[in-house]
Amino acid sequence: MLHMYLPIAGNSVNIFLILGLGGFVGLLSGIFGVGGGFLMTPLLMMFGIPPTVAAASDSNQIVGASTSGTIAHMRLGNVDIPMGLMLLIGGIAGGTVGVQVIKLLKAMGNADFLIAITYVIMLGGVGGYMFWESLQGMRHDNGMPIERKKPKAKGGDEKKSFVQNLPFQYKFEKSGCEISMLLPLSFGILVGVLAAIMGVGGGFIMVPVMVYLLRMPMHVVVGTSLFQILFTCVNVTIMQAWSNHTVDFVLAVLLLLGSTIGAQVGTAVSKRLNADQLKIMLASLVLLVCVKMMAGLLMTPSIMVALKGGH
Amino acid sequence: MQTNQHGWTMFYVPATTNDENIPKGHSYADCFRIKLLGLIAGMLACLIWVGSTWASAAPVTLRLAHTTLYISTFYNGTTLKASGTLPADADVLLHVIGAKKNVALKVKGKVAGLLWMNKTDVELENTPAVYMVYTPEKVGNDLLLSQLEGDAKALVKDVAMLGVGYKAVVKDIAIKPETADKKFVFGEYVKLMEKAGVYGVHNGAVEYGPVKEGKKQYSVTLVIPPKMNAGKYLIEAIAVKDGRPVGRASEEITIELSGLPKVIASLAYEHSLLFGIMAVAIAVATGLLIGVLFKGGGGAH
Repeated sequence: MLHMYLPIAGNSVNIFLILGLGGFVGLLSGIFGVGGGFLMTPLLMMFGIPPTVAAASDSNQIVGASTSGTIAHMRLGNVDIPMGLMLLIGGIAGGTVGVQVIKLLKAMGNADFLIAITYVIMLGGVGGYMFWESLQGMRHDNGMPIERKKPKAKGGDEKKSFVQNLPFQYKFEKSGCEISMLLPLSFGILVGVLAAIMGVGGGFIMVPVMVYLLRMPMHVVVGTSLFQILFTCVNVTIMQAWSNHTVDFVLAVLLLLGSTIGAQVGTAVSKRLNADQLKIMLASLVLLVCVKMMAGLLMTPSIMVALKGGH
Repeated sequence: MQTNQHGWTMFYVPATTNDENIPKGHSYADCFRIKLLGLIAGMLACLIWVGSTWASAAPVTLRLAHTTLYISTFYNGTTLKASGTLPADADVLLHVIGAKKNVALKVKGKVAGLLWMNKTDVELENTPAVYMVYTPEKVGNDLLLSQLEGDAKALVKDVAMLGVGYKAVVKDIAIKPETADKKFVFGEYVKLMEKAGVYGVHNGAVEYGPVKEGKKQYSVTLVIPPKMNAGKYLIEAIAVKDGRPVGRASEEITIELSGLPKVIASLAYEHSLLFGIMAVAIAVATGLLIGVLFKGGGGAH
């Protein structure tokens, strides 16, 4: 089998295997609008790539995949640029705060534990809620009654008036909502902090935030998420290459070739699936990663030491 | 001649003398210089004789097919042929040693009695980046087991004297904090490195050839995994007889990056900002190109 040497990772990889991995993650990127960092980094580590190089090179390939995906979604009218910009500004600010939080936690010696626990709680919470919600939606489509919690009238009104009274109200046309710009900015900050702590692009958190908290239509969510991820990963790639020398360009190009094609196929597939089907598929994937991580935490490891640097 | 306060022997030459043994027309200093030159010449002759005797009787020799290996674009590790001769009644062990470095590790432990986490920080100092041992057929296991298992009946009883195997490596390693269990941590580190392919014991890999004039030939194919990075490595052959080393020979190999890997590594480390911008630009261009190609083919819709 044809192998290629990765000078920054310091290892060689099977070209077809990396093309396949890129294709798989690109497919997910096109279908769900997530960067796939939460899946790709562990997969690359399984094939002998150091964690820091895997994460940084993955950011590089996401730039390519999300460029392709963003353009495809732009053609379909699925990108809300003002919303994406607000989320992006918040995300970058939150990411900067998150990096400082990690530094503080590392100094206290609790970083690894908190990162793993955050992963499991976030993946479990987000995945579980999306799964349950989509299941309810599919039941409703099949003519079955849905159990919905009755909103507390008084509390709901207070919440509505609080949101409506926030300054900088703006009509996000493609998202079909008129809300304060502070709202996506705050969610962007929150996701940025979590993404920095977890060491991922944050697409799998951003998508549920847009669906459930900003109430955006699913297809606009996917396009806008890709738009935001594109710029986040441009920033991460340049920073990682500049300060840590961890971007392996050869690895990124191989992943990119697979993922850009995968993203196009994914975008086409996403048009054929309805919103609930999309959500339940993403929820299952998130829950699967959560279960795998939980198993890793509970089972006795075969090797009792790890090289410092990864988690 | 007298000894100074540091214990160094010093020659003391008087400027003038009336010694009767000095030939006519020569000073005492001239005579001393002649004697000193004679002494140095004698010592040099002795050194040359000892050296040539040692070389002709060297119990083990080592020859490598190549001393420089190149990592090119499609490199996936390689092999290196090593061969030599040794006394017919001895055995040979070879080991490949990488540069020594300090390795920062996390030891796993349980948190809240339930969850396995990377818990404690430890550092192994003076640890070789690569360590591989090659042993001959039949006897290889016995030679090394004595070190690995501490078998009192085995052939080799003095690990430090032989200097081969994990037990010999761990003797040179220090651990921080000192309270950590060095043997356990190194044992687990060995497992980790064996999984990566850069540590290993290749039992029975050395093959013996025919015996000629009291010497037998040996050959072994050394494995150079892709994770053996660019750098210098020492390969040593140790002749062992009755559990004791009777001769050593060593060679150094250099692994170098060449072609595309060399260009990329140089850009990444020497022009890192430019490299980052270039990586992004190529990623965006590829994304755009694929987007255009799919639009042209109508595949995306």
